[in-house]
Amino acid sequence: MMDHDTYRRALLSDPRSEDAGMRQHRDTCAQCAAYTTRVLQFESRLERALQLKMRVPAAGHGSRRFALAASMLLALLAAGAVWLAVPRTSLAAAVVAHMAGEPDAWNTRTAVADPKLESVLNNANMRLSAGAGLVSYANGCEFRGHVVPHLVVQSAAGPVTVMVLVHETVSKQVQFDEQGYRGIIVPVPGHGSIALLMRGPDARMDDVEGIAARVRNATVWLR
Amino acid sequence: MKDRFGENQRRARFQALCQALRPDLLRFAFWLSRDRALAEDVVQETMLRAWKAQDSLLDEGAAKPWFMTIIRREFARTFERKRIPTVDIDELIRGELPSLAATEEHELAELRAAIFKLPDEYREPLVLQVLMGYSTAEIAREMNLSGPAVLTRLFRARCQLRALCGEDTQQDPPE
Repeated sequence: MMDHDTYRRALLSDPRSEDAGMRQHRDTCAQCAAYTTRVLQFESRLERALQLKMRVPAAGHGSRRFALAASMLLALLAAGAVWLAVPRTSLAAAVVAHMAGEPDAWNTRTAVADPKLESVLNNANMRLSAGAGLVSYANGCEFRGHVVPHLVVQSAAGPVTVMVLVHETVSKQVQFDEQGYRGIIVPVPGHGSIALLMRGPDARMDDVEGIAARVRNATVWLR
Repeated sequence: MKDRFGENQRRARFQALCQALRPDLLRFAFWLSRDRALAEDVVQETMLRAWKAQDSLLDEGAAKPWFMTIIRREFARTFERKRIPTVDIDELIRGELPSLAATEEHELAELRAAIFKLPDEYREPLVLQVLMGYSTAEIAREMNLSGPAVLTRLFRARCQLRALCGEDTQQDPPE
């Protein structure tokens, strides 16, 4: 049986450990259980502290930035890059790829605070009325050089990720089904587009389209 | 024609992958360097190297550790190439706190200031574990350390952080 000090050393080394010996000690020691609660509270703060919001570097600030951008462009050209020839279908791939960066967003269930949601939506000069449904996640994410709202809206069919892409235009609705995600990108005349997607084998395009209509109806553009 | 389309698709996917991972890479680079401009430079260089070496990435699911390895090497190269000025932690915190605290509560800003103060050898494994979700074995592999050495560093990192943040450390175990 683990002693208190051994348990606490292990806890402070890896608070999220699922080690059976640690669990056994915690279940039989009230003092260490209480200590664990405090350590996990601190850990939660630590996780939030490390999750800095990183802004996209502003273009044209200083010669070093310009030199870097130029050297990168040259290198890409030299490598035969075809950035400008990338087909528009890559927008869907980019949306799907973005999901890999924030997997925990899918697990949120409770409503985000109104000031947080408002702050995130400001990036797209928009508001959402209550008709959109419960928004359990809201973050301003870097996406193709812009900070865009990344939301998770709860629906009867499960969580739906919504990305408001005011800088991305599509001429017509695009459907995609890749890497376990099903979704659509709908054009919003004058305001770019909105991408919505669900994950898992049970995700239905009908549900995504229903949420898309709901979100669009609940959207108030501020300019 | 078909080959070219396939190549374009591949490049587009790689570009999307880079964009998706970039925020995390920037965060990691920032916590490593404690310098936003340097972090941005290192991530730019990392992207370039990754672009050139993309054929060596056989499994997209392993992209994150692949990028992390490149970024750590790029840091090492940066330190070899130029002498990085000694960081005055108090000055650094004074400079960073206003932006860090702009939208967050005070306690997070205080915790970030404490993270800045951790020695590099403790800060890096902590960031890998908490921010990047690395297991002890993965940190050990990445940093070329033994598992017990990683756990010791993580233990010391948290002990120091807790003390710096004024947590009650009376029940913390001795080293």
